[in-house]
Amino acid sequence: MARGARCGARASAMIRPRAASGPIADDGDAFRFCSTCAFSAACLAQGFDKSKLEELHMLVAHVGPYEEGAHIFREGDPFEAIAAVRAGTVKTYVNDSEGREQVLGFFLPGEVIGLNAISHARYPCNAVALDSVMLCRFSFPNIAALATRVPGLQQHLFRLLSEDIGKAALLAGNFTADERMAAFIVAMSRRHAARGFSATRFRLSMTRTDIANYLRLASESVSRGFSRLQDAGLLHVDRREIEITDPGKLEALARNILRE
Amino acid sequence: MNTRLEFDAELLRRYDRPGPRYTSYPSAPQFSPRFTDADFRRQAARSNQEPIPRDLSLYVHVPFCFSPCFYCGCNRIITRDLRRGAPYAERLVREAEMVAPLFDRDRDVVQLHFGGGTPNFLEPQALAGLVASLGRFFHFSTAATRDFSIELDPRSVRDGDIAAYAAMGFNRASFGVQDFDRAVQLAINREQSIEETLRAIDACRAHGFRSVNVDLIYGLPRQTLAGFLHTLDTIVLARPDRVAVYGYAHMPEKFKAQRQIDERELPDAAERLALLQVAIERLTAAGYCYIGLDHFALPGDDLSLALEAGSLQRNFMGYTTHAESDLIGLGASSISHVGDSYSQNCRDLPPWESAVDQGRLPVARGLMLDDDDVLRAQVIQQLMCRGLIDRAQIETRFGIDFDSYFAESMARLLPLIADGLIAFDGSRIVATSRGRLMLRIIAMCFDRYLATPSVAETQPRHSRAL
Repeated sequence: MARGARCGARASAMIRPRAASGPIADDGDAFRFCSTCAFSAACLAQGFDKSKLEELHMLVAHVGPYEEGAHIFREGDPFEAIAAVRAGTVKTYVNDSEGREQVLGFFLPGEVIGLNAISHARYPCNAVALDSVMLCRFSFPNIAALATRVPGLQQHLFRLLSEDIGKAALLAGNFTADERMAAFIVAMSRRHAARGFSATRFRLSMTRTDIANYLRLASESVSRGFSRLQDAGLLHVDRREIEITDPGKLEALARNILRE
Repeated sequence: MNTRLEFDAELLRRYDRPGPRYTSYPSAPQFSPRFTDADFRRQAARSNQEPIPRDLSLYVHVPFCFSPCFYCGCNRIITRDLRRGAPYAERLVREAEMVAPLFDRDRDVVQLHFGGGTPNFLEPQALAGLVASLGRFFHFSTAATRDFSIELDPRSVRDGDIAAYAAMGFNRASFGVQDFDRAVQLAINREQSIEETLRAIDACRAHGFRSVNVDLIYGLPRQTLAGFLHTLDTIVLARPDRVAVYGYAHMPEKFKAQRQIDERELPDAAERLALLQVAIERLTAAGYCYIGLDHFALPGDDLSLALEAGSLQRNFMGYTTHAESDLIGLGASSISHVGDSYSQNCRDLPPWESAVDQGRLPVARGLMLDDDDVLRAQVIQQLMCRGLIDRAQIETRFGIDFDSYFAESMARLLPLIADGLIAFDGSRIVATSRGRLMLRIIAMCFDRYLATPSVAETQPRHSRAL
């Protein structure tokens, strides 16, 4: 999709009654990066502004919107590109040998999907839009070539890769349901905050089934966990909106898992 | 909240105009047939996927009445044929069987309400079977706070009925009284003795009902101050936990039964207000708290406690402590509120019956709330339930600047401010003791759908505000 075809989204975002119903990035223009760009900091630090990248034929394509439930790629599709989420939430998952879905992760604006395909020729998982999703698509061969000329970009790619691996390790281990829940919410809060959105008030676009699957808990346990955290005054849930009311206590509960 | 009421007849007369009752926002005239059963299924599925899916409320509509009360604007069918009850109850079971699986089993039913029509048109045995079936398809809460309520016509309550309702799990009852004045009763075709009414109320108490409600109506034909005062005194002595005092809305072009009422016998505007005034005075003098709109409750009642705690809610069943639930309506014309949607079943019996017989959800129309609707619904909810609008709270929750978002509404409030109906208290807009009787009028300033005068004024779709 051509850049500039995004005015509608911005205009409706002006009347944005719900806390974080659709955090949408400042889209930038020919000279400025999008506010959520996953790479802008690394590039700028190396003296590459957007106009220079264009010269390098670093074609960055804004694609979308993908509607809720639409697949962005499927397991086994040939790997060509990684993509940064500009708006919405993406879920990645695989199906096990018995056809059961295993949720691998959720990707918020500013985060990059497809990284786990880098060492393969094909995507090793499925990616599906959980709400209306806009992406910024990078041809992988191009960005890899660019990375050889921009050392900061290479480091940045490595960091993204290791973060991606770290995320999966987060939930392995023997933790209580409440610890998993707290870690999940704290991680979501930090990730929202990292992109300039509110750390204490955000909307969860994933279903409770997905959260349960990701945390390896039963769906009912996730709801009971949210209820316990709410009753203890750590957070408040209104439909899909989360308000963290006692960040300190929530962090303390998450500490065993997040280990900082 | 400000619990004082100030009665200013001149102001009330000036502001007496048609308006929605805001049991929902947007109100029912906005529902559209474009909303289908597929939308309802989608909303139900979505609501199951919230981090903490809401508890459930069930509303069951029983449309039959033995005889027509002439004031009535409800959706009902007049028949003396008791045999019509059983097949209707059977279809309700089939509807419940279709609807219940759309909702996850870990969602408790915390509120069950039978309304009508006349729910006790159904024989106790049929009703018991129906409640038992609902309990199989849904998971009834076992908490003491659950509200299982039924509207009862005291004229057809027989010995033993109340005991049977208690055994089915009902713990709240609501009785229609309107007025005990015989002249009024004849004019509205509803002859009901004080004795049978009090006997039914006593039976509820004897069988452990947690709460009894009585409905009165002012503005009926031939109603006099003396007669209505006598009714109020009788009711106050019986001391029901809740009393509702509704204003009669005469809309004969819309409700056929009302054409039986001789307009010349209706009290004029001044008399209506005087009737309302004595009702408010008598009830508050007897210790009842004003809950809002037309509702009063004893200080220990759940509604009064919720009002004090700021946790009062409002839904299609009126004021409640359980509105943070998804509401499922069963039966002809019943309304559901699931997720960010409202929907209504077929109003008339034949299409509802054929939908159920064909295994289709009988959804006829509805509405998806957009972000603006959700925001305005919250503002109106605060107003109707707490008598105030907390601008700071709305701003944080919805990420808006209140005064600029609602610039148009704020301008519409100006005459109300000049008349002393509302006042500013820091970031709060508060209904004054004069304004509390006119919450609907204040709420109308925030109703986007009333912005076009053609809807608000030419067609009286809504009853008068007082």
